[in-house]
Amino acid sequence: MSEPSHDHHDDHGHHGSRFIQHHYDDAAHQFDSGKLGIWFFLVQEILFFSALFVAYIVFRAHHPEIFAYAHHYLDVKWGAINTAVLIVSSLTAAWAVRCAQLNQRKGLIACLSITILCALGFLGIKTIEYTHKIHEHILWGKYFDPCVASAGNHLLNKGNNCPGFRSSVTWDAKSNKAASGCLEGEFDREPEVPGIQAECKVTEVKGANRRPVEACAEEGGKSTFPCWELSANPHVCPAGPGALIIYGDHAHHGDVTVEATCEAVPATAPVGDAFAPAAKPEVEGQATFRRNPALTKHERQHLFASGPPPEHTSMFFSIYFAMTGLHGIHVLVGVFIFIWLLVRAIRGDFTPEYFGPIDYAALYWHLVDLIWIFLFPLLYLIH
Amino acid sequence: MADHANHDHHGISHVAPARVLLTAWIGLMVLTVITVGATKIDLGANYNLALAMAIAVVKATIVLLFFMHLRYDKLFHSVLVTGGLLAAALFVGFALMDSGQYQDTVIWNPASPPAAPIGPPLVP
Repeated sequence: MSEPSHDHHDDHGHHGSRFIQHHYDDAAHQFDSGKLGIWFFLVQEILFFSALFVAYIVFRAHHPEIFAYAHHYLDVKWGAINTAVLIVSSLTAAWAVRCAQLNQRKGLIACLSITILCALGFLGIKTIEYTHKIHEHILWGKYFDPCVASAGNHLLNKGNNCPGFRSSVTWDAKSNKAASGCLEGEFDREPEVPGIQAECKVTEVKGANRRPVEACAEEGGKSTFPCWELSANPHVCPAGPGALIIYGDHAHHGDVTVEATCEAVPATAPVGDAFAPAAKPEVEGQATFRRNPALTKHERQHLFASGPPPEHTSMFFSIYFAMTGLHGIHVLVGVFIFIWLLVRAIRGDFTPEYFGPIDYAALYWHLVDLIWIFLFPLLYLIH
Repeated sequence: MADHANHDHHGISHVAPARVLLTAWIGLMVLTVITVGATKIDLGANYNLALAMAIAVVKATIVLLFFMHLRYDKLFHSVLVTGGLLAAALFVGFALMDSGQYQDTVIWNPASPPAAPIGPPLVP
């Protein structure tokens, strides 16, 4: 059925679109062939991504503590917004197919445009997240050396040069203590932990504009400290009201480490609700407290507790960046595809019998959405 | 391809009804809110994970059936996807089979060599 002339596409009985290739029987034949092709491609995409999901699952099965710890570095807010953005763009992509099928050119152009905007919005938010992580050294492998702690947890920092946030706290791996940082906090009750009665051993405060460490004793129940730097010389101040808080506040992160290093004094104080012991009180000479979650939401986000961070926490971010990075590349590719389709739609290429590219791109886009539907709870919503 | 009497059929492919697309979209948005809200409830780590995954599977099914049109499409396309998912499940399953046997430390650091494997020696 080869024809010498390609000028007349209607030779084969096609009516309408000049994009129906002569080697297909008709428009439906071309469409179905393309659709089969895109489905084969999508199935291999599933297998492609499944390798990363295997890495995730095996590592999480083996090291659940790392995931429980490290996911605090991710902001659920951004993840949820991005989920919604992708779902909206999936709707507009599906609607674009419908518009093309119904010959609604304006609707098609609008749907493709919204899809592109959503895709760019997704990438914009991802950029915000990545930028934040790059700034704070929350990266993969050996580059994981953060300057702020994950919410609710101790800071893990191997002593790099932090970018100089007001809040930067350095974790000294050798002594397993915070080496420098800012102090700020409000304690309205004594820490009531059996076996520990609160003499708080605070390392010295240095710097000309720092308040003397005795201030914490003077101010009693409600103490708010300015930014401190700590050095090695121990000072003594009462725990409880004066308990040491290492403050990791950051404009868009807001993590806070609360740590009270206390002399172990045998005590009969009952367990109260102001503080919960995170380290075992019987560990002599040291205890770590966290503030009661029954405080304001803002304060709760700034809670800190627990012992040293799990080993190999950086693996979480290796997996995080591999998965979201590969997904992000797919989104980026989708942007280019949809821009190309938008140009063609404006040109008027698509008709009810030739809309295959819209359909195939939309299918690809839905798969990208589908992958994110799993990435979001697996990375951001760890309980 | 099965013809659906209620929907217009353009000879090439079924047109997704507006109502179906919108309903699917609303469902996906609601489930997103639910899955975020569910993390606030403490069911224990495993059940929270199972719930989150169940919601994700429902969302994925909605996307596949309605946005990706499998509900109205050729059965063969659904067979392809199911085959791909089964292959992925096999992949995960086999990888998990021996995951209890791994050493704790998989990153070699000369300063702190990996701990000896837990449990009795494999060879007596």
